[in-house]
Amino acid sequence: MISLDDIRSAATVIAPHVVRTPLLPFGSGWLKPESLQPIGAFKLRGALNALARLENRSNGVVAYSSGNHAQAVAFAARLHGVPAAIVMPSNTPVVKIEATKALGAEVFIVGITERVERAEALVAERGAALIPPFDHPDVIAGQGTIGLEILEDLPSLDAVVVPMSGGGLISGVATAVKALKPEVRVIGAEPALAADIAASLKAGRLIRWDPVERAQTVADALRDEPSELTWEHISKLVDDVITVSEDEILAAVADLARRARLIAEPSGAVAVAAQAKLGGGVAVVSGGNIDPALLAQLSAR
Amino acid sequence: MPTPPSFADVQAAAERIRGHAHRTPVLTSRRVDAETGARVYFKCENFQRMGAFKFRGAFNALSRFDEDQRRAGVVTYSSGNHAQAIALAAGILGIPATIVMPHDAPEAKVAATLGYGASVVRYDRYTEDREEIGRAFAADKGLTLVPPYDHPDVIAGQGTIGLEICADLPDVATILVPVSGGGLISGVATAVKSLRPNVRVIGVEPELAADAAASLHEGKLVRWDAHDRARTIADGLRAEPSELTFAHIREYVDDIVTVTEDEIRAAVGEIARRTRVVSEPSGAVPVAAYLNRSLPAGPTVAVVSGGNIEPKLFAELVSG
Repeated sequence: MISLDDIRSAATVIAPHVVRTPLLPFGSGWLKPESLQPIGAFKLRGALNALARLENRSNGVVAYSSGNHAQAVAFAARLHGVPAAIVMPSNTPVVKIEATKALGAEVFIVGITERVERAEALVAERGAALIPPFDHPDVIAGQGTIGLEILEDLPSLDAVVVPMSGGGLISGVATAVKALKPEVRVIGAEPALAADIAASLKAGRLIRWDPVERAQTVADALRDEPSELTWEHISKLVDDVITVSEDEILAAVADLARRARLIAEPSGAVAVAAQAKLGGGVAVVSGGNIDPALLAQLSAR
Repeated sequence: MPTPPSFADVQAAAERIRGHAHRTPVLTSRRVDAETGARVYFKCENFQRMGAFKFRGAFNALSRFDEDQRRAGVVTYSSGNHAQAIALAAGILGIPATIVMPHDAPEAKVAATLGYGASVVRYDRYTEDREEIGRAFAADKGLTLVPPYDHPDVIAGQGTIGLEICADLPDVATILVPVSGGGLISGVATAVKSLRPNVRVIGVEPELAADAAASLHEGKLVRWDAHDRARTIADGLRAEPSELTFAHIREYVDDIVTVTEDEIRAAVGEIARRTRVVSEPSGAVPVAAYLNRSLPAGPTVAVVSGGNIEPKLFAELVSG
């Protein structure tokens, strides 16, 4: 498992390149708007930390991702002057594919179950380094810097609500928060349609859901499942999970635009939907890369 | 004409609003920076309480009320953000508030004002004068009138934005500020020119309500018909400067530039796509100027003054 020192060290590495996002008051709680990062999502933190620590990156980097991790790796690679090849599943929103290309990465579109295989093939062909979206200690440590910042800004923190997919974000945040203030409750948020972690915690062991089933949720960044590494962090550090319906997720997107003047993608609004049920705490708004047409539709309803 | 607020008044306002108003962040957009080859920062007053900078001036003015004034209450006239700002600040300070709003004010704004605990008095904007109604209420019921901008304490409160920009961005060269009645730019310019006389303070107006620009260029207050000013989509920028705010503008403001309606509409969408925040048309006007006008070089701050936009209009502009 990663340590608080790993996260503190990541904070130093990434500080010049990320936005230190503010805490914004929201109802009886607070928001941590990672949607305000340069690529519009928290993923930049982990990708920057992992890339900075690669020993051999001269042959470039490879990543597979449905979106925000792709942009994060592309951004970090461009910053370090390294070529990036990104494998994206065919159901990725166009806005995310375009944004990744605009950052100078080479993009490969594949079927949703083939992306890991294709990424590994690219690594073998090119001698490039793979930066996985969450199953890597340096990635997790980078995401954990969010936990450090929340506690710095709000020493009286009592609960933090974090969206869960592969579990990299919550693993990092929980490590930071529990090391510094063990009594803070770390609560995961999942779409009910992709609630494999909620089921796993209830069962006390990692339960796998069919990827086609998980892909039903509108929260397109939350369709992944934990690895052994992230599950170890989650099972030891996460206090509870709140699941939310598709309607609650979409309503939270509209609510954030109206009341917080923040643009969130559905995945980024999941913790806010859960926060509404909890009645307080800090909700991590993990990303803001929403299709403009969907945003328009949700704002108008 | 009341005495214009000084730099010390702005500093005192900062102390009064501390812990009540949010200290809003400045954001950057690497995409905009890359495309324009310059650095621009967004001062996000759309994250302010009730979603606009107006809370600063309202809270500062109300917190200076004496005991009798607090007991009797405050009255103001506004169809927009100042109404909500006074209602919220009065609620926090336990002061009864009466807001004079037009019959055709958007229901969302009336509901928000009522939601903060204020009483709302409606008037017909085509046959009645809101300032007269406000003054009559103040005289008859012993209420204190706090107008939207023509008041030293309101101006001093808005000026705290200038203090924060100078503290957060030591190398700022230019600050772009929307201009309507001129309270915001008067306060910001007073603060900024006292701290950093070399920083340029540039006002931005819709072409369709460019009376302050015309006044600055002619060296005297030029009046535009209210119906003309009401043509702009930037509904927070339809007022006109007072003697007091124009005195500040003449003294401190380097220039006022104008933007078209299309540029304003596009800027709301651009801000949404590039920085992922919601702005109202009036709040997007400085960004419209930054994207479309040739302005002095150097790090620039666009004051995004508010984010209270009708959801349907936002939907239209964000998909456009």
